[in-house]
Amino acid sequence: MPTNFFQPFRTKIDRPRQQVTGVLMLLPSAALALSFIIFPVFYNVWLGFYEKHSLMPTSSMVGFKNYLFLLKDARFWNSFYLATYYTIASTVLQIVLGIAAALILHAKFPGRDFLRGIALFPYMVPTIIAIFVWRWLMNDMYGVIPYILYVLHIPGMPDAWLSRNTIMYVLIFLSVWTFFPFVCVNVLARLQTIPPELFEAARVDGASAIQQFIHVTLPQLRTVLLIVVLLRGIWMFTKFEVPWLLGFGAGAGEGVRTMPVYTYQWAFTFYQAGMGAALSNIMFGLLLAGVTIYFIVFPRGEEE
Amino acid sequence: MKNMAPNITDSLALARNRVEPGAKVRMISRAENLGKWSLRLGLFLYCIFPLYWMVVSSIKTPPELLAYPPTFVPHDLSFGGYNKLFNETNFWTYFINSVIISGIATVIVVILGAIAAYGLTRYQYRGRETIAKFLLLAYMFPPIVLIVPLFIFASSLGLTNSRVGVALSYISFSLPYAIWILRAFFQSLPVELEQAAWIDGATRRQGLFYIVIPLALPGIIATSIFTFIVAWNDFLFASVLIATDPLKTLPVGINDFFHMAVVDWRLIMAAGVMITIPAVIFFVAVQQYLVEGWGAGGVKG
Repeated sequence: MPTNFFQPFRTKIDRPRQQVTGVLMLLPSAALALSFIIFPVFYNVWLGFYEKHSLMPTSSMVGFKNYLFLLKDARFWNSFYLATYYTIASTVLQIVLGIAAALILHAKFPGRDFLRGIALFPYMVPTIIAIFVWRWLMNDMYGVIPYILYVLHIPGMPDAWLSRNTIMYVLIFLSVWTFFPFVCVNVLARLQTIPPELFEAARVDGASAIQQFIHVTLPQLRTVLLIVVLLRGIWMFTKFEVPWLLGFGAGAGEGVRTMPVYTYQWAFTFYQAGMGAALSNIMFGLLLAGVTIYFIVFPRGEEE
Repeated sequence: MKNMAPNITDSLALARNRVEPGAKVRMISRAENLGKWSLRLGLFLYCIFPLYWMVVSSIKTPPELLAYPPTFVPHDLSFGGYNKLFNETNFWTYFINSVIISGIATVIVVILGAIAAYGLTRYQYRGRETIAKFLLLAYMFPPIVLIVPLFIFASSLGLTNSRVGVALSYISFSLPYAIWILRAFFQSLPVELEQAAWIDGATRRQGLFYIVIPLALPGIIATSIFTFIVAWNDFLFASVLIATDPLKTLPVGINDFFHMAVVDWRLIMAAGVMITIPAVIFFVAVQQYLVEGWGAGGVKG
């Protein structure tokens, strides 16, 4: 075997001097990660105990005052509720739409590659543009979507979509549009590796298309969906740009003032860095708790 | 009436026999086909309509833009929105800033990422797997959680309101994911290829540059696209770290259009077209590489 023939070269990899080279090659990246990701995590814990103006160098230690304030702050609890609502609604819809689109794009038909390309477009559009386009589509006076809904006589539509009570629906709608391709691509990649014999066997046993989907496709997608749901959940809970640029956290935007928006406001609108830090620490803690619970509820299968 | 019943059954039986076998199946499959094509069309319209509307709105005349009912195909073309964008705003300043910052970040991420991934896959030392796990963890890390300490830290280093500070944040946040993809690509390349080169007298560095990098080119291209798009689309870091107009990147600069006294939707849609086009062209040109890279580890967003 060629591997045995080259064995002397393999051992060359293990020599201590070589090991040092391997570690050295990682050093520049590690230094950047250390100073811009790991250090800020700890620095933030420290900042959360201080009262500090975002632009001034002065700061004073206040202990748990920031956290105690937030616990009694109705806007904080509201932001937590909105972030949770947004995360669950938009993640569920993205997953459903992403799987549906992946199934559509998995079948063979003329123009499939073209449609696969098109289906990635929403993901490639810069967030700020996606938001402005949707603001324009849903505009209270000139929006084309309210017009189409009106022409189709769909009942129960609000007069103004971008008002405080309904802006959350616009946020969810536009987030699903922007982020479903992520689910679609990952599911599609997995679909392509399912052995066709599985479907053949199910068909021979007389399974309908729906039964095939429930008993063959979904179990095969389990692993990839577990990861995709986790990633989407984390990223939707901490999604800042979309709710911020849709409402700027004020006026009707209070309807989409999720935790990331509220954090940003404390640190960069009210310039209270300590409060912003406390909020992001809470967010981080919630994420850790959420991920832990997720892994307890869905233990990673042995197929991974 | 009593006599009718057998007749009906008879004629049904007759009709059933007269229909050639397979015809019923064909009927169903035609309906099924129609259903499938309407789903495909639905997906197409869902993805493309908002972008179509952006382009159409950017070239309508002002009265037509605000006309009721809205026109789906513009009657008159007008490029006033683009004219205003190029001549009355700092669009090109923002554009150049975006190109410089995203470009520099991409080049550095690819270089540092390739070096780190090579070290991770071609040298054996303890902790390699732990590092790989950390990469994935860092990839999931949401920037908003770190933006406050990062801003205070950057301002104490004097990195606020500078292109360097913004580029450094993009590099730090893109690197873990870049290393992750490149590591997957490097792992898929057999070490034997390099070993063959070493036998022929090549050094490790030559092996890296003449064997590994050319073969991992799809991965390198995928990595650069992801990094470029993350940087090109970012709003958070740029809005926090940059304060003065001449240094603003496109997303932050465009955001100001929305805060003008009168919101000019034509201008905003024109800006949207101008920002989206480079991303789309770039994307279409390298799509085949992208699919491979996507398979290697997913995308952030």
